[in-house]
Amino acid sequence: MNALLLAATKDVVAFHVNPVLFYALAAIAIAGATGVVISRNPVHSALFLVMTMIIIAVFFLTLSAPMVAIVQVIVYASAIVVLFLFVIMLLGIDRHEMLATDDRKYQRPAGAALGLLTLGGLIATVIGNWQLGPQTSSGRALSAIPTLDGVASTTAGETDQIRPLARTLFTQFAWQFQVTAVLLVIAVVGAVVLARRSTRPARTEVSA
Amino acid sequence: MQRFLDLVWVIPALPALGAVIVLLFGKRIGEPKAGYIATATIGTSFVWSVFTFFALQSQHGEGRHHVYNLWKWFAGTGDFHVNFGFLVDPLSVTMILFVTGIGTLIHLYSVGYMHGDPRYSRFFAYLNLFAASMLVLVLGSSFLMTFMGWEGVGLCSYLLISFWFEKNSAAVAGKKAFVTNRVGDFGFMLGMFLIFSKFGTLDYVRFGSHEALTGVSHTTVTAMALLLFVGAMGKSAQVPLHIWLPDAMEGPTPVSALIHAATMVTAGVFLVSRAHAFFDFSAIGNGIHAGTVVAWVGAITALGAATVAIRQNDIKRVLAYSTLSQLGYMFLACGVGAYTAGLFHMVTHAFFKALLFLGSGSVIHGMHHEQDMRKMGGLRKFMPITGATFIIGWLAIAGVPPFAGFWSKDEILAKAFFSGGAQGKALWAVGMLAALLTAFYMTRQVWMVFFGNERFRDSLADDHGHDGHDDANAQGDPHESPITMTLPLLVLGALSIVGGFLSLPFTKPNLEFLARWLEPSLEGAKDIHPGAFTSGFLLSVGAVVVGIIGIAIGFTVYKRGLPDDGVDPVETKLGPLANVLENAYFFDIGLAKFVSGPATKFATFLAEGIDRKTIDGAVNGVGRTVKEAGDGLRRMQTGLVRNYALGIVAGVAMLIAYMWTRAI
Amino acid sequence: MNPVLFAVLNTELEKPRIDWPIIAPVVALFVTALVIVLLRAILRTQPKLVYQLSIAAAFVGLVTSGAFVGNEWRIIHRSGIFQTFSGAIAVDGMTVFVQAIVLIATALGVLLALGYLRREGLETPEYLVLLLLSATGMLVMAHANDLVLVFVALEVFSIALYILAAFDRRRAESQEAGLKYFVLGAFSSAIFLYGIALTYGATGSTSLTEIATQLGVVDPKAHTGLLVAGFALLIVGLGFKVSAAPFHMWTPDVYEGSPTPVTAFMASATKVAAFAAFLRIFAGAFAQASDDWRPAIYVLAVLSLLVGTIAAAIQSDVKRMLAYSSIAHAGYILIGLQVANAGSKRNELPGTAASLFYLLVYALMALGAFGVVQSINHRGETNHAITDYKQLSKRQPLLAALLTLFLLAQAGVPFTGGFIAKLSIFRSAVDAGQYQLAIAGMLAAVIGAFVYLRLVVTMYATGQDDDPDAANEPRIKLDVGSRIALTITASAIIVLGVLPNWFLDIAHQATQLLTR
Repeated sequence: MNALLLAATKDVVAFHVNPVLFYALAAIAIAGATGVVISRNPVHSALFLVMTMIIIAVFFLTLSAPMVAIVQVIVYASAIVVLFLFVIMLLGIDRHEMLATDDRKYQRPAGAALGLLTLGGLIATVIGNWQLGPQTSSGRALSAIPTLDGVASTTAGETDQIRPLARTLFTQFAWQFQVTAVLLVIAVVGAVVLARRSTRPARTEVSA
Repeated sequence: MQRFLDLVWVIPALPALGAVIVLLFGKRIGEPKAGYIATATIGTSFVWSVFTFFALQSQHGEGRHHVYNLWKWFAGTGDFHVNFGFLVDPLSVTMILFVTGIGTLIHLYSVGYMHGDPRYSRFFAYLNLFAASMLVLVLGSSFLMTFMGWEGVGLCSYLLISFWFEKNSAAVAGKKAFVTNRVGDFGFMLGMFLIFSKFGTLDYVRFGSHEALTGVSHTTVTAMALLLFVGAMGKSAQVPLHIWLPDAMEGPTPVSALIHAATMVTAGVFLVSRAHAFFDFSAIGNGIHAGTVVAWVGAITALGAATVAIRQNDIKRVLAYSTLSQLGYMFLACGVGAYTAGLFHMVTHAFFKALLFLGSGSVIHGMHHEQDMRKMGGLRKFMPITGATFIIGWLAIAGVPPFAGFWSKDEILAKAFFSGGAQGKALWAVGMLAALLTAFYMTRQVWMVFFGNERFRDSLADDHGHDGHDDANAQGDPHESPITMTLPLLVLGALSIVGGFLSLPFTKPNLEFLARWLEPSLEGAKDIHPGAFTSGFLLSVGAVVVGIIGIAIGFTVYKRGLPDDGVDPVETKLGPLANVLENAYFFDIGLAKFVSGPATKFATFLAEGIDRKTIDGAVNGVGRTVKEAGDGLRRMQTGLVRNYALGIVAGVAMLIAYMWTRAI
Repeated sequence: MNPVLFAVLNTELEKPRIDWPIIAPVVALFVTALVIVLLRAILRTQPKLVYQLSIAAAFVGLVTSGAFVGNEWRIIHRSGIFQTFSGAIAVDGMTVFVQAIVLIATALGVLLALGYLRREGLETPEYLVLLLLSATGMLVMAHANDLVLVFVALEVFSIALYILAAFDRRRAESQEAGLKYFVLGAFSSAIFLYGIALTYGATGSTSLTEIATQLGVVDPKAHTGLLVAGFALLIVGLGFKVSAAPFHMWTPDVYEGSPTPVTAFMASATKVAAFAAFLRIFAGAFAQASDDWRPAIYVLAVLSLLVGTIAAAIQSDVKRMLAYSSIAHAGYILIGLQVANAGSKRNELPGTAASLFYLLVYALMALGAFGVVQSINHRGETNHAITDYKQLSKRQPLLAALLTLFLLAQAGVPFTGGFIAKLSIFRSAVDAGQYQLAIAGMLAAVIGAFVYLRLVVTMYATGQDDDPDAANEPRIKLDVGSRIALTITASAIIVLGVLPNWFLDIAHQATQLLTR
C-alpha cells in the first residue's frame, strides 16, 4: 500500500499536477481539518472530517491513483464517519459543556504553541533537503524508486491499479496483511466485552 | 594447625548461625539463655580466631597471605568473574581478633544490660548478625566481599540504632544513619567500579603494593583512592558525613560500644589500610595526593569533634564526639602513610572506648536511665568497679603513660611530625591541640559523673516509679551493675592498661610487635623515619605534658562538680562560642534546614510537575476525577488525558528540535 | 481485459512461500484464541465448562507455541539467521529470546489472573482470548523486520490491552484506565505511523534490512531531514509503549486503574515486546545512523531514571509506585539501547545483550511484584495504599517476604537477578565509554533502593500505632495459580542472581541481529 503511494508520489514529478489545483485543494483540506478541531458541535466536526477525507481522495485522483481514491471515499468518508455520527447521535449532541470543563488554563495555549512548534520543526527539518527514496553515497537521490515490478509506472487502465495492489498484499506484504486478521478478532471480542451491561451482579457474569 | 587457615569461614559462620537460631527460636529459648547462646557463638569465634592467628604465625613469606575461595560467581563468562573468598593475612587476623574479642565482652555485658527488654532475643540476633557481617567485612578477599559485609554492618547498625523505635528520636537517628551511610556507600561503589573497569578484578591480592598499580595514571588512582575514602568517611563518620554518629547514641549502650565505637566505625580505617596501595601510589605522583585529603579530613574531625565534646552534657554524646575525634586521629595517621600507627590506635581505642561506653552504660543502668551528666556526681561511692574502670579509660584516652592510649596516640603524633615538611608539623600541632581538649573534656566528664557533689537525688525522686526497669535499690540511689556487666569492664580495664605494649616505640630491642606483624599486609607503604631518639622522646614528653595540662584545667574547673546553680562553668567562660559548640557548629541544623527546605521543595516541584496525585494529593488515586465527573466518557474529556497528550507533544517538539540540528 | 496481459500478470505472480515453522508460534496462539471463541459460541449453555476448557486450551496453546519457539531456536542453530516472508520476518536470536520471554510472561499472567478473576467475579473466556491475542501481537512484534509489520503488531497487542485495561466494567477506574490508555495510545500510534511514513520517504523501503543497507551506503554525516524527522517520531511512538519519560504520563494512571493481573502482564510483556522493536529498529536497522539517535535516547534514559525514581519516592500507592519504578526500569534498558552500537574495544557485553537480559529479569520482577500486590488487594481493587502494607510481615508473612524479594530485586540487591541486570547495563555503558550514563544509572539505583526499602520497612517495622490483632488477621489463602506463578518468579529471580551465566550467554547469543 505504502509502496504504491510512493509510486504515486513519483508520478507527481512525472505528471506535473496543476499547481493551482493542488494549492486550492490543499487549502480546503487544511480548512476542513481545522474545522474538525475547532467546531463546538460534534456533528459539525464529523462533517468537516468528511470534507477533508474527500479532498484527500481527490488528491489521489490527481495522482492517477483512482483505486486508492475510491477506497478512501468508501472507507473513511463513508463508513467511518457514518459510524462517528451514529455514536454522536446515540450519546446526544447537546453536550457542549463537555469541552469547557478543562480546569487548566494553560492547556489550550500550550497545546497550540507546542503543536505549532512541532509543525515548524518538522517543516524546518524536512524542507532543507527534500530527497525521496534511496540515496547514493553522495547524498543525492537515486533516479529510480523501487517499484513493484515496474507495474505501477505503466499508466494503463484502472484494472492495473488494483492488480499491483493485490499482488503486493499477497506477496510482499502477505504476512503483514494476515496479521491484521488478529486485529479483527480483537475488535469483535473487544466489542462484546465492552458492550456488556456493566451493572450485572458480579457472580452471574459467567452465565451470560 | 594449618587447617585453620582453610577453616576461616567458620569465624563469621558461627555468629551467623547464632543469629539464625536466636531469631527463629529466641522466644522459646527465653531471656538469659538466648543471650548466652549468642555470646557463646561469638566467644567460640574468638577462640577460633586465636587458633587462626597461631596458624598464620607459623607461616612465612607468601604463606602470610592465605586466600580461601568459597565460590566463583559468573564462572565461565569471559574474563569477568567475581571471587567470593576470605583473605587471611596479618591485617585481617588482627581485625578478627579484636572484633571477636571485644564482641564477646560486649555480648556478655548485654546479657545484663538488656535484662527485661521485651525484644531481648531479637537484640542478640541483631548483635550476632552484626558480628558476622563485620567479620565478613574484615576477612573478605576482595573489595566486593568487604562491601557485602559493609552493607551488612550498615543494616545492623540501622536496626540497632532504632532498636527502641518507640522513641521517635531513635527511629529518626536510625534513618539518618542509613541515609548518610548511603552517601558513603555510593562513593565506595563508584570506587569499586572504577577499579574494576581499570584492572578487571577486585581481589585484594592483586593490589598488594603500589607497584601493582603501574600502568594506570596517577589521577585515576587518586580518584579511586578518594572514592574509597568517601566510603570510609561515611562509615567512620568523618566530617562532613559525621552527622549520624552522635545521634546513633539513641541505640542501646552496648550497641554504641560495639558498633559505634570499637568496631564498625573503624571499618573506614580498615578500608584505607587495605587499599593502602592506592593511597601510596597516589602519593608518588604529582599534584593532588589522596593521603593529604585523608590526613586533613582526619585532623579537622579530630579537632572539631573535640571542641564540640567539651560542651555536651549527655554522658554518651561526649563519648560519641570523642569517638569522632579519635577516628580523626586514625585517619590522620593513615593519611601520612603511618597505617600501623592508625591500626594501633584503632585497637587501643577499641579497648578504652568500649570500656568508657560500657562504663557509661553501667552508669545509665545504675541511674535508672538517666544520661544527663548534670544530674550525676559522686557516683564512685555507689558504683566502685564502674568508677575505677572508667578512670582507667579516662587515663588511657587522655594519653597518660603507661596506659594504652598514650602509646598509640604518641606514635600517631610522632609519625605526623616526621612525615615531612610544614604540613607534617601543622598536622602534629592540630593533633596536639585536640589532645589537650581530649584530656580536658574527659576530665570534665569523669568529675561531673564520679566526683564532686551528688546532684542526682532530686531527679531520681522524680523518675522513680515509672521506670520499671530495675528497682533493686529501694531508696533509688544509684547501684552497681551485675557481674555480667562488671566483668567485661574489668577485662577491658586491664586491656586499656596493657594494650599499649602491643607496639612500643623502641627499635633496639625491637618492640614494635604490631608493626612487624602487620608488615606483610602493608607492603610498600612509605617508611617514615623517626628522628633521633631525643627528638622522639621530647615529642612524647610534650604529648604527656599537654595531656596533663588538659587534665589540670579540667580538674580546676570541675573539682567540686557543678556549682549550685547548675550552670556549667564552660558555658559562662566561652560566651557565645558555647552555643556554637553545643550545637556542633550548627552543621546538623543547617543541613536539616536545607533538606527539609529547598531540597524537599525541589522534589515536590518535580512531582507536582509530573504527577498531581502525590502523597498529599487526592485521597485515593484516580478517585477524585471519578467522583467529580460521574461517567466514563465525560471523565476522559475533563482533564488529564489532554494534559498527558500535551506532554507527549512537548516530547515530540523536543525531539524534532533536536533532530532539526542533525538534518543537513 | 487484455488476455495476454492477464496471462503475463498471472505467471509473474509467484506464490509466497509460507515458512510454517517460523510463524507456528504465532499461529498456535491465534488458533487457540479462535478455538476459545468458538467454544464459547458452541457451548453457550455451559459457561462454566467453557471457562474451564478455555483455561486448558490457553495452556495447551502457550505450551505448543513455546515448543515452536524452541524449534525456531533449533532452526537458527542449524541454518543460521535468515529472513523470510519477503523479508517481513527476521529469524534471529532476538526473535527467539523475546518470544520466549513473552510466552513466559503470558503464561504467568494467565496463572496470576485465574484467582483474581474468581475473586472479582470476572471469570469469562474473553479475558483469556484477549490475553492470548495480545501475546500473539507481541510474538509478531518480536520477529517483525518490516516497519509496517511492526506497526500492525503494535496495534494488535495494544488494542487488546486497551480492552483488557477496561475489563472490569464495574469499576470506573478500570474503564478510565482503558480509555486513557486507548486515547493516548492512539495518539502515539499516529505519531509512530507518521514516523514510518517519513522513514519510508527517505529510504524508499519499509523493510528494516533494506533500510539498513540504505543507511550503510550514504554518508552518515549527511542524513536528510526526512530521515532524522522519522527517527524522532519513531522514538516517540516506541518511547510511549515502553513508558519512557517524557512519554510516560499514562503509565501510573493506567497501571493503577487496570485490573492488577492486566497491569502485571502490561508491565512485563508490553515492555519486552516494545523494547524488542526498539532494539531491532534502532540498534539494528538504524545502527549506521546511531550518531543521530543516540543523544536523543541518552536524554530519554536520563529523564526516565530521574522521573521514575523521584516520583516513585513520593507515592502513597503501591501500584503507582511500581508504575513509576517501571518507568525507571525503562530508563536502565534505554541505557543499554544507547550503548548498543557504541564502539567498544572489549565488546564483552554489548548493550543489546544487557538490555535483553534486563528485560527478562524485569518481566519476572514486575510479574512477581504485581502478583503479590494483587493477592493483597481486597475485592474491588482496594487496599493498595502504602499504609495498607503496614506490618504486613505480621499479618501475611509469606506474601511480605515474597514482596520483599521482588522489591530487593528491583532495587538491584546482590544475589537477585536485578543485581546482575543492573550490573550488566552499567558494565555495557562503561565498556562503551558512557561513564555519565553509568553514573546516572547508579545514582538512580541508590535513590531507587530507598524507594523500595521504604515499602519493605513499612511492611516490617513495628510502631506505636500497631494494631495488636495484626498477627491474628486471617492469612490470605493463595489460589493455586498465584502460588505457582509466584513460586516460579521468585525462584527464577534468585536463580538469575546466583547462576546468571547461562542466561547471560543466551542473551549474548540473542544479539545477533539480522539487520546488523
